[in-house]
Amino acid sequence: MFNDFFGKFFGRQGSKETAKKRLKFALVYDKLEISDDLLNDLQRDVVEVISKYFEIDTAAMKLDIKRSDDLSALVLNTPILSAKRR
Amino acid sequence: MEGKIIVVTSGKGGVGKTTATACIGAAMAMQGKKVVVIDMDIGLRNLDVVMGLENRIVFNIVDVARGRCKINQAAIKDRRIDNLFLIPASQSDNKDSLSPDDIIRLSKGLRSRFDFIFMDCPAGIERGFENAVAAADEALVVCTPEVSSVRDADRIIGLLYAKSITPKLIVNRIVPEMVARGDMLSHEDVVEVLSIDLIGLVKMDDRVVVATNTGMPLVLQKDSEAGNAFHRIAQRLNGQPNLPIVNPNDAKGFWRSLGRKLRRKN
Repeated sequence: MFNDFFGKFFGRQGSKETAKKRLKFALVYDKLEISDDLLNDLQRDVVEVISKYFEIDTAAMKLDIKRSDDLSALVLNTPILSAKRR
Repeated sequence: MEGKIIVVTSGKGGVGKTTATACIGAAMAMQGKKVVVIDMDIGLRNLDVVMGLENRIVFNIVDVARGRCKINQAAIKDRRIDNLFLIPASQSDNKDSLSPDDIIRLSKGLRSRFDFIFMDCPAGIERGFENAVAAADEALVVCTPEVSSVRDADRIIGLLYAKSITPKLIVNRIVPEMVARGDMLSHEDVVEVLSIDLIGLVKMDDRVVVATNTGMPLVLQKDSEAGNAFHRIAQRLNGQPNLPIVNPNDAKGFWRSLGRKLRRKN
């Protein structure tokens, strides 16, 4: 009781503020995680769209998520064999 | 009228799903509805012991799904509370013994026999979860005010949304003294993080352990705060969605602690 009072008086934060901050961070971070299935599906769809405009080497194509501290990026790398004549 | 199927789930284990299922089911039956609670934790059944019906098991949910018995034969009638039935899980099979299609097939017969069907979902997000939510109309997510439980609840809520179910939240095992001193997430914090609607707040209550020890339904004990909270949750599910949610951190605790302080001085 005495401790509680002085804790509040001197602005001591309970551990729940830490819990809340960590929780919010964890939830954001969890949602950035991308499953292999999703990435494979995306690659299939992207190949389909690009193939409408270019001949590409589908075997050499790479689709990746690059992560750094403050951002994550979708990186697509594919050799173009030729543009399609329309 | 067709019965409603409500799944009680959480993601994390040990947060009070089974107790919540037993209590809400029993409370609903006490309000005059015909209720069945179904243990979907195949291989690790416990709803039967929590309800004190473990000595009366003949058939289980896997038997029903396999056509070895009828729903009425597997549903154990509670002798203390009218209109309350339990279909236990099988203890010898595993989660793969049932499929979501099995449950969807059974749901028709369940809806025609009962007003409310409560599915006690196992922990996890695998087959057991898929089975328990397969035929659900509504979902209750149980979580405790702890980081691990809230994180798992968030995951489960996402999976339920993907199945077009908008769940409601029960915050269980609230310790008002810890909330007051800032050492436990308040239900407001939990709701803010999860951003879903609340359907009930349940205080930590020693009587839950006693009720589980004896197999006596908690909701039959008139002075159990947790029991009363589960009664109100059942009322909200049973046509009174706007029944005010009692905040366990409120005035009562304040006056009580003031009383305690005064007594100590005298």
